[in-house]
Amino acid sequence: MATPPVITDRRARREAREARKRSRGFAFVDAVRPLLNTLPPTEVLSAEGVQKVHAASMRLLKDTGVLIVDYPQAAETFRQNGASVEDHPDGKLVKLDEDTLFHFVKHAPSTFTQLARNPAKNLPIGGRNTIFAPVYGPPFVIDLDRGRRQATIEDFQNFAKLAYMSEHMHHNGGTLVEPNDIDVKERHLDMLLAHLTLSDKAFMGSVTHKENARDTVRMAEIVFGADAIRQHPATLSLINASSPLRFDDRMFGALEVYARANQAVLVTPFLIAGAMSPVAMAATLAQQNAEALFGICYAQMLNAGTPCIYGSFLANIDLKSGAPCFGTPEGNLALYAGAQMARRYGLPYRSGGNFTASRIPDAQAGYESASTFMATVQAGVNFVLHAAGWLEGGLIAGYEKYMLDLEMCGMMAKYVKGIGLDDEDFAWDAYAEVGPGSHFLGSQHTLRHYETAFYQHAVFSMDNYEKWEAEGSEDAYKRANAAWKQMLRDYQPPAMDAGIREALDEFVAKRRAEIRAGKLVRED
Amino acid sequence: MDFKDLPDDELWLQMQDDLYDGMKAEVAEETHEALRRGYTPTEVLGKGLVAGMDIVGVDFRDGVLFVPEVLMAANAMKAGMEILRPLLTQTGAPRIGTMVIGTVKGDIHDIGKNLVSMMMEGAGFEVVNLGVNNDADKFLNAIKEHDADIIGMSALLTTTMPYMKVVIQALKDEGLRDKLFVMVGGAPVSAGFAEEIEADAYGRDAATAVDIAKKYMAWKNEKKTA
Repeated sequence: MATPPVITDRRARREAREARKRSRGFAFVDAVRPLLNTLPPTEVLSAEGVQKVHAASMRLLKDTGVLIVDYPQAAETFRQNGASVEDHPDGKLVKLDEDTLFHFVKHAPSTFTQLARNPAKNLPIGGRNTIFAPVYGPPFVIDLDRGRRQATIEDFQNFAKLAYMSEHMHHNGGTLVEPNDIDVKERHLDMLLAHLTLSDKAFMGSVTHKENARDTVRMAEIVFGADAIRQHPATLSLINASSPLRFDDRMFGALEVYARANQAVLVTPFLIAGAMSPVAMAATLAQQNAEALFGICYAQMLNAGTPCIYGSFLANIDLKSGAPCFGTPEGNLALYAGAQMARRYGLPYRSGGNFTASRIPDAQAGYESASTFMATVQAGVNFVLHAAGWLEGGLIAGYEKYMLDLEMCGMMAKYVKGIGLDDEDFAWDAYAEVGPGSHFLGSQHTLRHYETAFYQHAVFSMDNYEKWEAEGSEDAYKRANAAWKQMLRDYQPPAMDAGIREALDEFVAKRRAEIRAGKLVRED
Repeated sequence: MDFKDLPDDELWLQMQDDLYDGMKAEVAEETHEALRRGYTPTEVLGKGLVAGMDIVGVDFRDGVLFVPEVLMAANAMKAGMEILRPLLTQTGAPRIGTMVIGTVKGDIHDIGKNLVSMMMEGAGFEVVNLGVNNDADKFLNAIKEHDADIIGMSALLTTTMPYMKVVIQALKDEGLRDKLFVMVGGAPVSAGFAEEIEADAYGRDAATAVDIAKKYMAWKNEKKTA
């Protein structure tokens, strides 16, 4: 007998077995493990190509310029720092040369840490790390039971909970959905409160108004401490260019608040090629580069060292309907090329996601999402907004789509680990044991590794036709429906210090009252 | 603490758990211990081994267990069965069943068939595994030699699966068809194909094949005693 018979604790074994049954599907793991990409990034531009795009973008900044609308103080900051500023019917036109630009851009750190309420969930941003965050901004939601409808705060809270519960979601995101049932002037308070109380992962700040950004910083100070967030940012906020070559007061106002508080910003040109940029990808990339660097330059002028992410949201238009297209060959090429540009400047890069133009999680959604998401990971993107839930070009957050996308996130987490090449990875003992013919399913090597050898699917089904049919012929859409409901049923809020909670609630109540009284600008 | 100190009902549970976890040596020891306590081989089989494999079967079906774990459990079951089988024969207990299984002529793909074979052994069946590339004669000889209850044929290739029909015709020609339960399986095989070639059952996967075989034997044993 190889091992002497022993009586092991039966109860412990039964409990472990029960736990394993419960943990089928997506397990709740109270930790965040960002992807560390070991694979060489896919590159579509030669070194010469990168240089050409760079040179074109410098020419755009110098000759064409960037328009700043309704925010003359930003133009003034540029002027004081050596840019030329011209009057323009819609605002101020800022033109700057390469030396001035990089005199400031060089201060942007190549990596930084975003704090999470749970320090075990702090996020390293940049380098070879990839962070997944949920869909941002949809005014609508859809699920299999209730169809498409206007999103509400309840939907927002649900998606905040799903982000907290998902092992494969590293970041809680920002405007998970637009809570249409709350007055637009105060809804940022409810969104921030949801992120801060329903989850303990890192989150994104409000950018819809300069004052909203100030409220975001204040709430982060309450939770993290004012000094702590000056050391490492506790918020990361999405500053969009109103492309082509234009920033407005909303975005630059929010950027200013965040930069002065040393909070991270994600500067993203919004490019639907054909409309916001020419139909040529080279031009689009150069324009993207000009806009992103311009925004980052402004943040550095305000506060040298502001953590910045070089953003890319780049799709192309359907020239027959005017609608945006996703998962296209052009979009993927630009995704890779954008990553190359960000690497050239040593800046963390945001792009990609599980993108689709489709309205429901159908075959089109699956193909388009898989196509962009694979490119996202292979490009070496550092911050992936819209990693789960995206439908209809970002207009709809899909509950089922969210779960299906999580499966992709889980698979990519395994993918980026690459191929192990140790002796154990060559399984010599398995060959000695099994030899030619036969099979490896019971070999000692298999028994050592079977639990982690291959990615275990949570929503996708590997059942054969007959078993699938016998169990109700459920497609992925239906299985995903059961999965999100289960995840919400299993949700337990993370612990929070009672004093902090009280201070947060007090601040929100006070601000809400001020806003309702018409006092939008906070006095402190 | 030793197995000997466990009350009887705890011993059965311990046996089921050890079987579930693929602890071969423990299951063999517990089988001996249960027999020492005066339980009949049929009782040991039912309360310990089969009850344990039933849990394994459910968890495998539900996607809780991995294939290697099921193989380990089946091996543990087999260890217990080796002790019980001669005693079961002596006591005239109902037959659990004997199956002749093989991949048909022209086909050397046998991993799926071997899984079925191990799962069948895990359920207590005596399995005569003919390996790959079997012509009708090989099946016939093995059936006669081992007095089989069930024949299982597998194929991975659409080009080899028609040979299953040739074997069934040979069984008819030899007058064996009515005494045998014919099961077929393999990736390109379907329930419709099984019907077309006049097989008795199609096993869509290893666990289902075992279920079907068990049901057949229960029916056969009942018919015999009725």
